[in-house]
Amino acid sequence: MPLELYYFLSITAVNILLSWALYLPYRVAHLHFITVANMAISGYAAAWLVMSLHVPFGWALLAGFVLGGLIGWLVSLFIGDAPTFAVVIVGFTFIFIARTVIENTPAVGGSMGIFGLPNIGGSPETHRATIMAILAAMLLLVGFLLHRFEHSRLGRAASAIFVDKDLAASLGVDIRGLGRLLQTVSCTIAGGTGVLYGFIYKSFHLDFFTFGLVGIAMTIIFVGGYSTPWGTVVLAPILYGVPLLFPPAIQEWRIVIYGAALVLVLVLKPEGFVTRRFVVSVESFLSGATRKKR
Amino acid sequence: MMQELIAQVVNGLSLGSIYVLLVTGFNLLLLVAMIIHFSYPQVVVFSMYVSWVVLRLTGDNLLLGVLAGVVSSVVINLLSAPLFQKVMQKRGEVDINATMVLSMGIGMIITDVLSHSFNEGLPVAFPDSLSSNTPIVRLGLISIQTGQVWSLGVGIVAVALFFLLLYRTRPGRAFRAIAEDPNGARLVGIPLLRTGLYSYALTGVLGGIIAVLLAMLLGSATPGLGEQVAHKVLAVSIIAGLGNLVGGLVVGLLLGVLEAIVQGYVSGSWSNAIAFVIMLVVILVRPKGLFGTRL
Repeated sequence: MPLELYYFLSITAVNILLSWALYLPYRVAHLHFITVANMAISGYAAAWLVMSLHVPFGWALLAGFVLGGLIGWLVSLFIGDAPTFAVVIVGFTFIFIARTVIENTPAVGGSMGIFGLPNIGGSPETHRATIMAILAAMLLLVGFLLHRFEHSRLGRAASAIFVDKDLAASLGVDIRGLGRLLQTVSCTIAGGTGVLYGFIYKSFHLDFFTFGLVGIAMTIIFVGGYSTPWGTVVLAPILYGVPLLFPPAIQEWRIVIYGAALVLVLVLKPEGFVTRRFVVSVESFLSGATRKKR
Repeated sequence: MMQELIAQVVNGLSLGSIYVLLVTGFNLLLLVAMIIHFSYPQVVVFSMYVSWVVLRLTGDNLLLGVLAGVVSSVVINLLSAPLFQKVMQKRGEVDINATMVLSMGIGMIITDVLSHSFNEGLPVAFPDSLSSNTPIVRLGLISIQTGQVWSLGVGIVAVALFFLLLYRTRPGRAFRAIAEDPNGARLVGIPLLRTGLYSYALTGVLGGIIAVLLAMLLGSATPGLGEQVAHKVLAVSIIAGLGNLVGGLVVGLLLGVLEAIVQGYVSGSWSNAIAFVIMLVVILVRPKGLFGTRL
């Protein structure tokens, strides 16, 4: 596989996973930016395990998932049912704290970062193939779980919370419990994604985990459509891929382009391009076509 | 030891007065225009850059520099008003979370424009005539600089005037009425849209003043400054209780003093982390604020 295609596909997969990690708690109106901090914490921890303790990559990846989930669960004990803006500020505070701690910890390279991570499986080709296989498996697994969640009682409960918390509570929905569950799952996904993100480049640097990354994920969710996970799948490759077709002078302005797209969509088409109604109509069309075939 | 502490408290009060002004502007928009203008500090930092450009072009003409900062802040605020209104209309109801996301989008644009278009993304330094760091009082370790006195003095006057406007004038009563009950305010004939626009203009003026004070206090600006300050302003606002003006005043000053004291005893980047950890603990324990939410 050509190197450009590898980077395009793998970074697109990371963007989709990160956006899904943000999408999940947003189903109960929580913009949980702690996911980006978790990507950094789990990624650096896994890299340290591999580089300093020579732990095999598989175990380091597993540790990344567990660490992400653990942090998410601990924080969710406090903000499982907090208002959106409180969740936002907790996320941003975590990003600042994580960055400061990493910057001042020589064991993970401080402000220089960690470079020269080993190839998984020995050769660069095997490394790339392994990363792509794990990302594909994660996309399928998380996508399947999201699909099941959307069509379950939990998904309907989340929708009720998003529309009206009081109404959901009166219907017997456990607002805090669902908030905790979604925040924990979201952070678990982010933890693993963070490990893979660094291993794609075989290095970790603080510049990977900036507010720019938050902005990209937010643009993917809101422009793609925040009411269904499919918007993310459609928009992530477009948003990352299309600027690559432009000359470097324009590529430099991609964050401005993302910001402008976010503002325009919120003003003109607040639900984003792929809406729930659209997905339901496609699903009913497909199920109708299947019935006709039978 | 004691002298060092007093010096840090003075530092902290001048920084805290800027936080108070920022939180007051943020809360006014929240209460009257009903938006969470997360990137309000980014607008302030943009105005700092406009001031810097005008100062350079006019050979450090302070009056024009200050005016440019205030005018640019008002213009950006008024230009963004229709966008916020449109978002709220589209949603069919007041959705302050959507306005927060919109504001973040505006913040992304401002920060990136600043890092590409001004001084090649490098920090900009304000002339000595504006950011004079000459000590006007020196008492052992205690050194009080011009910028600190100005920011503290103007901060106190601006907050006093703002509270006077809010509690002793007709437009102020209109602002408070909308904050208390928008539908009731409409029933008694208060024009919601026009009063909302006044709040954008007023916070624009406030933003311009803050930009000048920040330039005097810090002496320089970076594109990322707005993000850092935005985060602290929202944190102060949440710790105080969203929309709580008096709470914002107390917590803003406290955060400034806390930050300065920590900076005095802990090395550079760790000091920010300690302030953030304390903020985080308060938010986690009391997500609805110490003084109660006024929404």
